[in-house]
Amino acid sequence: MLEAHIKKRLGNGNGNSLTIDVTVRAADGITVLFGSSGAGKTTILRAIAGVTTPDEGRISLNGSVYFDSAAGINMPMQRRRVGYVFQNHVLFPHLTAAQNVLYGADSDSRAAARERVRELFTLMEIQNTAAHYPHELSGGEQQRVALARALATDPLLMLLDEPLSAVDVATRSRLLEEISAIQKRSRIPFLYVTHNQSEAARLGNAMLVIDEGRVLQEGAPLEVFNAPRTAPVARIVGAENVLVGKVLNHSSEDGTTVIDIDSCKVEIPYNGLPVGSQVTVGLRSEDILVSREHLTQTSARNVLPGKILSIIKDVDKAELVVDCGVDFKVSITPATVRTLNLEVGNNIYLLIKARALHVLA
Amino acid sequence: MIWQALRLSLLVVSIATLVISVAGTAFGYLLAKKKFQGKDLLDAIITLPMVLPPTVTGYYLILLLGKRGLLGKPLYALTGWTVTFTWIAAVVASTVVALPLMIKSARAAIESVDSDYEIASYILGKSEFQTFFRITLPLAGRGILAGIILSFARAFGEFGATLMLAGNIPGKTQTMPLAIYEAVVSGEDERAKWLALILTGISVLVVYLTNRLSRPKGKR
Repeated sequence: MLEAHIKKRLGNGNGNSLTIDVTVRAADGITVLFGSSGAGKTTILRAIAGVTTPDEGRISLNGSVYFDSAAGINMPMQRRRVGYVFQNHVLFPHLTAAQNVLYGADSDSRAAARERVRELFTLMEIQNTAAHYPHELSGGEQQRVALARALATDPLLMLLDEPLSAVDVATRSRLLEEISAIQKRSRIPFLYVTHNQSEAARLGNAMLVIDEGRVLQEGAPLEVFNAPRTAPVARIVGAENVLVGKVLNHSSEDGTTVIDIDSCKVEIPYNGLPVGSQVTVGLRSEDILVSREHLTQTSARNVLPGKILSIIKDVDKAELVVDCGVDFKVSITPATVRTLNLEVGNNIYLLIKARALHVLA
Repeated sequence: MIWQALRLSLLVVSIATLVISVAGTAFGYLLAKKKFQGKDLLDAIITLPMVLPPTVTGYYLILLLGKRGLLGKPLYALTGWTVTFTWIAAVVASTVVALPLMIKSARAAIESVDSDYEIASYILGKSEFQTFFRITLPLAGRGILAGIILSFARAFGEFGATLMLAGNIPGKTQTMPLAIYEAVVSGEDERAKWLALILTGISVLVVYLTNRLSRPKGKR
């Protein structure tokens, strides 16, 4: 269990400053720090790793205190036993992939360290990269080596700073599954920084939305994406609903694929992915129609009954959160709220075109 | 006479280069990485020999190390020995004059290493000492090596400060540049020519090596 309370004032020299003031708790599982760049996510990771010193606060992992401004404790980063995966991997350019990982594998005997490195290379399926230098490897391979190097120290906590941002889409999907599998095996907390909704939705057991150095909302990623509590959170997570489902079946004749999202069945455009595979789909909140009646003669392939959980009104729009088994964000005009006389608790229908649902990378 | 001067020069320069390499890299690291009070002043003081005329540096060295000098006096009282007019004085003079070049090169080379590499090493549990030798030094190696060669060349050609502190005693403190000066002054043209040619040859070789080393080899 990681418990971090961090306060730090950052100045960037030209008058702009950012004050980080967050409390982050992370248990076994993957906790996502979500936010746009400049929100202070990387500083939080660096403070936990001991690279930067907070002005104030307390950081502890499994009861051992890493930092405590009141007690004057600041454990050097060498002794914190955290694994850190950098955005640009930061592999040592003068060492081969195997030497990079061996560098972190601190073991009593040389032979045991080598064995550990072999294990990690097998686990990450990068045996063929061992003798190569970092610049000879692909982006995906580099990031796998970086993961292996971080794991080689047997860390008590993993910190991952947008590890997949420099990796192509196809590799990203595989690496996501691998990171998730590694976490399940190691059973240590992972703190994962990203601004990619799909990564957050597929990996995160918990998520913190960070903006301007503060935690705006905490919860399961899908819950936060689909039911942002405040306007700033809605702005950061975007107007998109993010849904994670499994492919149930395809109809090439109809050109559709049916996916199951928490036992809510939704038709999306045909994609040919293997049945049972996981997909993340996005749906813009303004692409959803609201109806009081159950319409049947309509082009919308999905007509989902649901209940209004909340209505947030703005000048030019109203954001509804509707529970249809899963939560959907729906963006409509204030006029619709008035004419349909919508209120929290009302039962309504959502009309969603199959083609409005798109698979996210 | 020629070979005597060459041999002495090579001895003096070898020891000076060794001292400069270690001390210069250490000072370079200190200036590149550490924040401390009086850093700018220290930087200015160790850069001074680069901008002062070597004779002035030599003069200060006499004030410091001479028989009646700040350090030289107690040393003489204690041991009856003084550094002035010995070959060691030639080592001291060329070391002091060439050291700033090494410090500047080492500092620039160390600063050019992305600090994320060092941070990654620390997070992997390695001490600052281990990180320096296994990460920083190899990554800065090219620039540091260029600095060593440059200061070797500077020490090899040292004249003014050496003359002040070590004098010009043939076979004892007369290095190549001093031997050339004497040969010219006393009209021994043939000897002056050969000494100059040998010194030029070694310097050309050194500059050639420096250029080769400072050229990036492949992608890093």
